Amino acid sequence: MSAILIRRLATAAPTLLAVILLSFVLMRAAPGSPFDGERPLDPATRAAFSAAYGLDKPLPVQAARYVGGVLRGDFGPSLVYKDFTVGALIAQGLPVSLTLGGLALVLALALGIGGATIAGTHAGGIADRAIMTAATLLTAIPSFVTGPALVLVFALWLQLLPVSGLDGTRSLVLPVVALALPVSGAIARLARAGLVVALAQDHVLTARARGLPPRMILWRHALRPALLPVVSYLGPAAAGLLTGAVVIETVFGLPGLGRYFVQGALNRDYPLVLGVVILYAALILLFNLIADLAYGWLDPRVRR
Amino acid sequence: MRIAGWTIIAVALAALLLPLLLPWNYDQIDWSGVRAAPFSHGHLLGTDSVGRDLLARTLIGTRVTLMVAGAAAAVALVLGTLWGAIAGWAGGRVDEAMMRIVDALYALPFMFVVILLMVVFGRSIVLVFLGIGAVEWLTMARVVRGQVLALRHRPFVLAAEAAGAPPAAILLRHVLPNVAGVALAYLLLTVPQVVMVESFLSFLGLGVQEPLTSLGILVHDGAEDMDVAPLALLVPGAVLVGLILAMTSLGERLRDRLAR
Repeated sequence: MSAILIRRLATAAPTLLAVILLSFVLMRAAPGSPFDGERPLDPATRAAFSAAYGLDKPLPVQAARYVGGVLRGDFGPSLVYKDFTVGALIAQGLPVSLTLGGLALVLALALGIGGATIAGTHAGGIADRAIMTAATLLTAIPSFVTGPALVLVFALWLQLLPVSGLDGTRSLVLPVVALALPVSGAIARLARAGLVVALAQDHVLTARARGLPPRMILWRHALRPALLPVVSYLGPAAAGLLTGAVVIETVFGLPGLGRYFVQGALNRDYPLVLGVVILYAALILLFNLIADLAYGWLDPRVRR
Repeated sequence: MRIAGWTIIAVALAALLLPLLLPWNYDQIDWSGVRAAPFSHGHLLGTDSVGRDLLARTLIGTRVTLMVAGAAAAVALVLGTLWGAIAGWAGGRVDEAMMRIVDALYALPFMFVVILLMVVFGRSIVLVFLGIGAVEWLTMARVVRGQVLALRHRPFVLAAEAAGAPPAAILLRHVLPNVAGVALAYLLLTVPQVVMVESFLSFLGLGVQEPLTSLGILVHDGAEDMDVAPLALLVPGAVLVGLILAMTSLGERLRDRLAR
């Protein structure tokens, strides 16, 4: 187990460092500067600003300072949100995004695995076909279409739920559903395929021959191997949820990380965009790591 | 499979030809019919908040989305094929190193890398497809590498090698033509991915820029006005979903038929 962990960390750490360096270089290669405004700044003010933000130092020095700062959790000041450090903005946005993403992941797993269990145990039947058609449809509808469509139906026409903003649990329902649906479709397709294979295997046949109740066969013998593909999908799923959250937070006006990211990207707020990209990369690498470990725990053949 | 194929052809033809038949241009403002309802003022689907014909905009938006998707998929095809073919042909340590890089890149948040590129180099339509192509080639590289690896020691390749043909010629003449079928199936699967990324970026205002339009922008604009004009959201949304669905199912069928 720890061998997997060490091997994975050995690739994850350099990847993260490469991301930090690459995004830094890209940002500095950008034409234009954050101080370009409607009115040109006079050279003295400009120089003072550059010095204050450390932009007058040679590039390698800036890069080294930046990487050092990031490793200590310091992403520098935001260029657009005056008086805020990127760290402070992240600290504000991250809890909202994590709540949104976490709830969506739970919902997607419940919907996906639940649907796949019904579909896989009735393979070929009407329920199977209906559920799998729905799943295929869900994976094809991007969350920026689902989001507004849900608002249109449930907030504007039926007036059951709030349109946008963050105000109590009710305001989280639509964003979480919109974020979860595409992922749940993908999970359902993977889990159903796994379940059909698992149910046809010898050990399940043996269990059935010995007269075990179907429910027990499903829970004890079939579901565990069937969920392996879902577990290895958790890494990409986390990436999908993080990306989806960017759009969902914009659609529903939630003050999460994704919203700061989009604002930062539109305003060329380099430190903010860099900080969020690095954080996202770290989260996705972490999730891939967890998925690998869970895979090893579920499938004894992988443990070496 | 038939339905999917014909859907794609019909949508593509409509996006290509129908704008020629419409009396309205996609960026032309009809001052007498701002926010016109469907079937009024000579606008089949009505107009948007500045009086531009929604049908014309949807058709042009579809055209732009398809063009960006095609171009980005082509970039991904070239990059992925080159990378995969070289890795598969070289084998050994080179292969190991090149595929490790692909594995590492797989773990990255694609969308954010593209957005980073957009922020850095300014938002232009060329960059949209170059950027998307630059992150979508990974699967293609894996597929091509696997195929090349399998073909590497087949008798006809060995014969060409023994006859003294240079590696580049063997790859081009003997190996890549045999990879083409599978690569094409995955290319077809790359296109809907790219369509999603492009619409996502445009939806956020980071992709295609006004007055040019794309399905993502139309969905975004439609969402702003959906309480009064739901069609402005539903029509481009439906075109987008239909395209993605048709291309994905066609690509999956082709892949299952060609790749074992």
